Amino acid sequence: MSSQPLSPRKVHLVGSRIRELRKGRHLTQTELSERIGITQSDLSRMEQGEYKVGLDTLFKILQVFDLKMSEFFGETESPQEEEARELVSEFQGLSGDSRREVRDFVRFKKLQEQALGEPLPAEEEKP
Amino acid sequence: MSDRRKHLEFLRRTAKDAIWAGDYDRALVLYDDGLALARGWKDRGLEDLFTCNRATTLIEMDRQDFDLSRLKEILLRSPSSFNGALAAYVCANAHEARGEYSRARFYAQTALQKSRDIRHDELTGTSLNLLANLELHESRFEEARDLFQEALERLDSQGESLSRQSAVASDNLGYCHIALDRLDVGVPLVQRSLSVLESLGARQAMDYPALDLCFAHVKTRQLGDAEEWGLRALGLGEEFGRQDVVKNSHYLLAETYSEMGREPEADEHYDALANYYPDFPALKHYLREISLVGMINLRA
Repeated sequence: MSSQPLSPRKVHLVGSRIRELRKGRHLTQTELSERIGITQSDLSRMEQGEYKVGLDTLFKILQVFDLKMSEFFGETESPQEEEARELVSEFQGLSGDSRREVRDFVRFKKLQEQALGEPLPAEEEKP
Repeated sequence: MSDRRKHLEFLRRTAKDAIWAGDYDRALVLYDDGLALARGWKDRGLEDLFTCNRATTLIEMDRQDFDLSRLKEILLRSPSSFNGALAAYVCANAHEARGEYSRARFYAQTALQKSRDIRHDELTGTSLNLLANLELHESRFEEARDLFQEALERLDSQGESLSRQSAVASDNLGYCHIALDRLDVGVPLVQRSLSVLESLGARQAMDYPALDLCFAHVKTRQLGDAEEWGLRALGLGEEFGRQDVVKNSHYLLAETYSEMGREPEADEHYDALANYYPDFPALKHYLREISLVGMINLRA
């Protein structure tokens, strides 16, 4: 068995981060525990790193917080990054057929811009 | 033992072997036959015994189409007998399967007390194992570890006859140690469990040990081994319809491939997992960025 180095690519969800995110959302322990379906005392143990849960509960936590990745990394997200993230999130929620339609539309817009020679300027850049 | 009892005992033994091999349909047919015979012979004790065994099989099959109140009636009618203790144990399993954990704990403690009273080592060991699983569900790893240890000692003391149950307790104990970061103690216990279960053809019980070894190797970043055990756990989970094993396997495999830099394979498992949560379309997006390995409980 060969051991491989730990990848720094991912952020690890830990109890203390859940506490910070909860406070950032102005949620009490009671409110959050009710939303994810565990008791307040278990949430308290979770925030202290003593309570581990199944995937279903962990996913409920992610869903309740509706995280922006930058929040997790403690970074500030630019408006363009936020728009891109939201677009990706919405795209991932579409059916296969709808995704194909979106891709076709993007290709159409790119072709249209190429046919016009120059990309259309963004609205706020117009004189 | 009368010929009738010998015949029914043979049916029970054969049904038990079928359950361990994962052939639940066959076990159910055998228990149905035994139950019909016991009723025909008007043997109340055997009827109660087969009623309990049949319900256990249905619980294993994720089915609830049995009369729980009938099991409680057996417990009340025969409180000091093996059937009464067994009925309490099956009630505990039924409540656990329904997510009614405080009720499950009550009946598991009742089963433990009664099986100790009648000095039945197998039922004492399996009741301890069930109580420990309920502790694990509540993330009380130290308490669960101590109960699994006691269960293992009790079952091991019976030698070869209870080796399958002992192997299950060994795996559970090993998982507790792995979760508590004592991989040096936990991994050999899980390996011992797998080896025994494999040698006895108890395929249906091999999914959790495989998953536990995958988890241990993810923790130590021994990714080749994590992949091997994760794929094995996934195959067994799919074969025996264990959704919790399948979901956890997909997650651990996705994490493994992600750490290996094999993104297309990671995506395949993230997608498979995300399909279980259609109302959370951004799930895959999160999972690609956030690791939940440090907070996951494979038995919750």
